[in-house]
Amino acid sequence: MLRPATVLACLCLALTAAADGWSQGSPTTLTLLSREGRRAVPVSMINNQEYVAVDDLAGPFGTTAREAAGGLTITARGRTIIVTADQTVVSAAGRLVSLPAPSLKRDNRWLVPVDFLPRALAVALETRLDWRRASRLMIVGDLRVPRVVARIESGASGTSVTFEISPVTPARVSAESGRLLVQFEADALDLLVPPLPQQPFLAGIALADAGTTVAVTPGPRYGAFRSSTSQPDASSSRLTLDLLPGATDLAGAAAAATAAPAPAPPPVDLRASLPPSPATGVRTVVIDPGHGGDELGAQGPRGSLEKEITLAVARRLRTLIEGRLGMRVFLTREDDRTISHDDRSAFANSRQADLFLSIHANAAVRSNIKGAEVYYLSVERADAEARKRAEDAAVILPALGGGTRAIDLILWETAQARYLEQSAALAVAIEESLRSRVEMSPRAVQQAPFRVLVGANMPAALVEIGYVSNPDQEQQLGSADYQTAVAEALLEAIVKFRAQLERTAQ
Amino acid sequence: MLRRALIGVVALVAAGLFGWLVMSALARLLSTPAAPLPEPATTESPAVAPPVAVEPAAGPHIKATLFFAAGDGQRLVGVQQDVPLAEGTVAQARALITALLAAPAGEATLVSTIPEGTTLRGVYVSDRLEVFVDLDAAVRTNHKGGSMQELLTVYSIVNTVTVNLPTVSAVQILIDGKEADTLAGHVDLRRPLRKNEALILTSDSTQSPS
Repeated sequence: MLRPATVLACLCLALTAAADGWSQGSPTTLTLLSREGRRAVPVSMINNQEYVAVDDLAGPFGTTAREAAGGLTITARGRTIIVTADQTVVSAAGRLVSLPAPSLKRDNRWLVPVDFLPRALAVALETRLDWRRASRLMIVGDLRVPRVVARIESGASGTSVTFEISPVTPARVSAESGRLLVQFEADALDLLVPPLPQQPFLAGIALADAGTTVAVTPGPRYGAFRSSTSQPDASSSRLTLDLLPGATDLAGAAAAATAAPAPAPPPVDLRASLPPSPATGVRTVVIDPGHGGDELGAQGPRGSLEKEITLAVARRLRTLIEGRLGMRVFLTREDDRTISHDDRSAFANSRQADLFLSIHANAAVRSNIKGAEVYYLSVERADAEARKRAEDAAVILPALGGGTRAIDLILWETAQARYLEQSAALAVAIEESLRSRVEMSPRAVQQAPFRVLVGANMPAALVEIGYVSNPDQEQQLGSADYQTAVAEALLEAIVKFRAQLERTAQ
Repeated sequence: MLRRALIGVVALVAAGLFGWLVMSALARLLSTPAAPLPEPATTESPAVAPPVAVEPAAGPHIKATLFFAAGDGQRLVGVQQDVPLAEGTVAQARALITALLAAPAGEATLVSTIPEGTTLRGVYVSDRLEVFVDLDAAVRTNHKGGSMQELLTVYSIVNTVTVNLPTVSAVQILIDGKEADTLAGHVDLRRPLRKNEALILTSDSTQSPS
């Protein structure tokens, strides 16, 4: 995707910058990394801040810009961002977003801080833009791009390379045509390699093969390697490659390794446990497969049971979330059993889940009705009053060792009431993601007094993934394709919702 | 011979049928002496009316709006129907629910949201003007499930009472005389529910069967 035009643009900017003398550093680039590939965008340093030109966003993001009354209106996917010269605040799709530095207009070019992309442009595009400053990567959309930081330690008897990987990502090591390849289960890697120390075992570390493999080139005294993995904490894993001397140096033990390239050890699986991804507002997700046990739920004309469909979809979703997002996922039931509503929400509360998704299949009085629907809780007036009380009243309790401390009291009955706005945003995110994959009901997002949502002390939604009472949908609901499409949509919605939470937190 | 036998059989069946109708009507009268008989609005559909209930409902009536599942299956639609006038909130609510439990009259596009076989056990009112509608277990055991169907069942009852009796603040459904968690696993029935206007089909929503 790196086109000559981009390079030319970069050069032009460099020349302009040099001529004007307002640049305080040499212009560099950042790399946009998306499913389509990589693309460079020029970056200028102004007042110690990195800026990108609004013009340069048109190509990769399809934005258009129009100047009016001292400001600039940028349109991205039908939504507008209003930028004002010398202001640190921009309006993105009607929301105010603050930036670390003011937007600037220089020589008829509008420049915005790099953080404009993840904070404002991402809002308008409804896409996740993740800025990895250290590696100068701007990750577009939901890509698995683990950060891999190499650390090199050299000694007399070998050199060891340690990769710190976050979040935890499965990887396998193999020896191939004189190099050691570490293949990651990812879409790209955010690789940082320090300068190599002077030693005879390691000649280089670089990205190879579409950017998901790290190639380690051994030095002249290398003979064999040893790999080991560990997991220092929940959010990262560690892979160590010990580059050892050949047989002449290491008698006996590595004799075989000198003749042929070192045999590949069994694949290293780092997915020992699935920890939360760090520094996000969504670390733990509880999925609630509706009904179960004696409670069959709705039934299809051919006998499909709602309780079986919901469990199958919940399991698929768990696999996706764990594999792609590295969050902790719990199911309220792992098998066919009866669970009360209170136990379901208590389960989510006790695991301090950041998100609660109840999965159901619907039934209607008429067999022709079909489509998916998303619900969040509706609150009766009396409950809204109770919510206000709950918000007002922190309880003062005597603390151990004297004194008092305020405890935030949350009434079980109104736990969900304080998350209604977030739950509404979650429901909308789910609806949008579902709509691009499966048929939606005419009433796609609704509020209802659903029992299972009442006690959830976190953003929560109930998803009716289709009508099992409709013969066509009954067949779909039982199929792997449809279940996967629903799970993919829910995964995407979680990513969108997480990005939204992070933006509001900023 | 054959002809006479046939007539005999027909007469026997007719007599049996008549006897059964009378007995069942008597049984209903005896078992729920307080509740008025359902008024299935026979004036609009005389063709299907059973012989024991031929005469149109006697006495004063109110024009009530009863809520049934709309054609889209996802909303409620109000249907104007004559319901016997009753003294007081409890009696009038009972008359409304009784009329609602009978199938919607004459409109092929409307479907009752309440499971077949459901009977009304009683109606109560609290001093906060919350009405309690006590249904028998059939409302749960015969329910087909699905949150949409459950929402329509619950709110056809809640809306029928609250729309026609504006002083009623909210309605709680009881099952077999007891407070229920849910009807079919979704809607929270532990508290009285207010009128739900979002579920009512808005444009030209009030249809008249006549």
